[in-house]
Amino acid sequence: MANSSEASRLKEETWFQRIVRRPEIGAFVVMVVIIVGLMFASDGKAFNALGLKNNIKIISQFGIIALGAAMLMIAGEFDLSIGSMIGFAGMSMSLMLKWGLPFGLGEATPFMAFALTLVMTLGLGWFIGTVVVRSGLSSFIVTLAFLFFLRGATEVGFRLINKSTQVSGLQDFKEDSWFAHFLGGELFGWFYDAWYWIGMQFVDLGFDRKEQWFTLGGNINRRGEQWVEGFDARFLWFIVISMAAYFILSRTQLGNWIFATGDNKDAARANGVPVNRVKIGLFMFTAFCATMFAACQVFDTNTSDAAKGNLMELFAIAIAVVGGTLMTGGFGSIVGVVFGAITVGLVSNAVFFIPQIDGAWFRVFVGTILLAAVFANERIRKRITGGI
Amino acid sequence: MTEPYMRVENLVKQFGPFTALGGVDLEVYPGEVHALLGDNGAGKSTLIKNLAGVHQPSSGQIYIEGKPVNFRSPRDASNAGIGTVYQDLALNPLMSVTRNFFMGRELKGMFGTLRMDEMNQIAHDEMLTIGIDFSDPTQAVGTMSGGQRQTLAIARAIYFGAKVLILDEPTSALGQRQQMGVLKTMMRVRSRGDIAIIFITHNEIHSKLVADRFTFLSLGKVIGQGTRETLEGGEIRRLMAGGAELGDLAKELADIG
Repeated sequence: MANSSEASRLKEETWFQRIVRRPEIGAFVVMVVIIVGLMFASDGKAFNALGLKNNIKIISQFGIIALGAAMLMIAGEFDLSIGSMIGFAGMSMSLMLKWGLPFGLGEATPFMAFALTLVMTLGLGWFIGTVVVRSGLSSFIVTLAFLFFLRGATEVGFRLINKSTQVSGLQDFKEDSWFAHFLGGELFGWFYDAWYWIGMQFVDLGFDRKEQWFTLGGNINRRGEQWVEGFDARFLWFIVISMAAYFILSRTQLGNWIFATGDNKDAARANGVPVNRVKIGLFMFTAFCATMFAACQVFDTNTSDAAKGNLMELFAIAIAVVGGTLMTGGFGSIVGVVFGAITVGLVSNAVFFIPQIDGAWFRVFVGTILLAAVFANERIRKRITGGI
Repeated sequence: MTEPYMRVENLVKQFGPFTALGGVDLEVYPGEVHALLGDNGAGKSTLIKNLAGVHQPSSGQIYIEGKPVNFRSPRDASNAGIGTVYQDLALNPLMSVTRNFFMGRELKGMFGTLRMDEMNQIAHDEMLTIGIDFSDPTQAVGTMSGGQRQTLAIARAIYFGAKVLILDEPTSALGQRQQMGVLKTMMRVRSRGDIAIIFITHNEIHSKLVADRFTFLSLGKVIGQGTRETLEGGEIRRLMAGGAELGDLAKELADIG
C-alpha cells in the first residue's frame, strides 16, 4: 500500500534517541550542570540542611507561578498580570487580617481572608479571560493593562485603608491556625528528623558535624541539636500544583482540550472543544497560582507590601519557556517547567552560597538560558510541524 | 434502486441581494461516490456549508432518509450523520494522531481520565480499515504527509458516525502519489456500502476514476446531472467548463491572439 510505505520511512528510534529528543532534555541538562556546579562552588553549603530549605523555598515560589503561566501558554495565551496579582492578593489578605473583613463583618480568620481574596482574584482572572476571548485582542496587551491596573489598585488600596503601602507585624497566625500553618508554616518535618537522626548515628560513630561531608552536616547545629525543622509549606503546594498540572495535561480530557486550544483553536472549535471556556479557566488558574504565592508569603513572613511580586510574571514566562513550552502554544512539558524552576531558583540563590560572585549575574544567566531555550524550542516545533 | 440517504430539494441560498444557490436538487445514495463538480464560484462551497449546518438555506428542503430536517448548527448536521472534512482538515499538527482523532470527543474513564490505550487502539484500527497502517498513533500529526492527514480526518468522521461523508477538494494541494492514496481511501469507504460520499473536486480525471454519480454546478445552478453510465467523457468535460465547449474556448483564445 502506498501509504504504509510512507509511514515506514520514519526511522525507528532507540530509547536513547527518544530521550535526547524529548522537549525537556535541555532544561534537564542545564539543571544537572547547575546542581553539580553549585555543589562544588559552595562547598556543599547550598545543599546542607538550611541551604536546601532556602533553595526549595525559592524554587517553589518560582515553580508555582511558572506552572500557571505554562498551562496558559500551552493554551496559546499570556498573562502579564501574574506579578501584580500577587501584590493585589497579598494586599487583600494582609489588610483583612489587620483591619478586619470588609463591610464591618468583624475579625478575619486566616481562612476567611484567604477565601475572600481567592474569590476576588478568581473573579479577576475570569474577567481578564473573558475580555481576551470576547474581544479577540492579544492577551499580551490585555494583561499588560491589568499589570498596571492591579499594581496601581494595590497601592491605592494600601494607602486608603492602611495609610502606608506596607503591613508588618501581623500576628503570627501559623502558630495557632492549622490553615495558616499549611500556607506559611513548616512541613515535611520527618525529612529533617530523619536527616538529624542519620547525622547523630555518625556522631556516635565518632564523626563530628564538620567531618560529615557525606551527610552534608547531618542537620546538626553548632550546639549539637537539630538544626532545621522542615521545609516551607510552599514546597507542598509546588508539589501539589505540579502533580495536578501534569495529571490534567497528560491524562484528562481537559488536557487534550488545552493542547488543542493552543495548537489551532479553529480546528479545536470545529471538533467541539469549548475553546473560550478553556482559556478563561486557565486565566483563573494563573490567578489561583498568584494567590497561592501571595498567601504563602503573607502567612510565612506576616508582612506584605505594595511591591510584592514585581517582575514575577516575566520570571514565570521565562521559566515556562526554559522548560520547553512553546511561545505559540500547543506544546509544553510540566516536567520541563519543574526543571526550569529548579534551575532558575538555584541560580537566583547562588549568591548567598558563593559570596564572592556578583548577584546581578543571575539575570545575565536567565537571559542567556532563555535565549538558548527559545532557539531550542523553535527547533522542536519545526521538527514536529515540518513533517516529511 | 435503493432509497437516497440524503435528498436536497430546490435549495436556495441568498446572501442579501446575491443568489449563491438558485434551486439545487441533489440525491446521495449509500455506497456511492457522488462527485460535485464546478468551477470556482459555482456554489460548491455554499452548497456543502448548507448541508453541513454552517449556513441555513433561504428556501428548499433537505431530507434525511425521507424525513425533512433543518440544521441549525454544524452539531445538528453531525448528529444527523453528515461528516464534513474541510480542506484544512481541522487537525492540530503538534498533537498526536490519537489526540487528534478524539479531539473534543475523548473517551473518558472515572474522574475524566482518558482511556488512552483504548483510544490508541481504536485510532490505529480505524485508520487501518481505510488503508493506512500507522504503527505509532502517539506520533504527532505534523510528521504525517498530506494524504495521511486526509485519511485521518476521514477515519475520524466515519468513526463518529458519518453516513454522508462530504470531502471538500481532498485531492487538491497533494502530490500525484498521495492523490491516488486518497482516491483509494475513498474507494475503501465506498466498498463498505453504508456510507455515501460527496466528493467536491475541480479534477475531472479524479471524478471519473471514482464517482458513480455526477452533479455539475455553474453560477449556483445545476447544469447537468447523471450517473457514470449516462454521461460521456466529452459531456463531462463540457459541463466541467461551465457548459462551454472546449472548441469554443479554443476559438475565443485564437480570436484574442
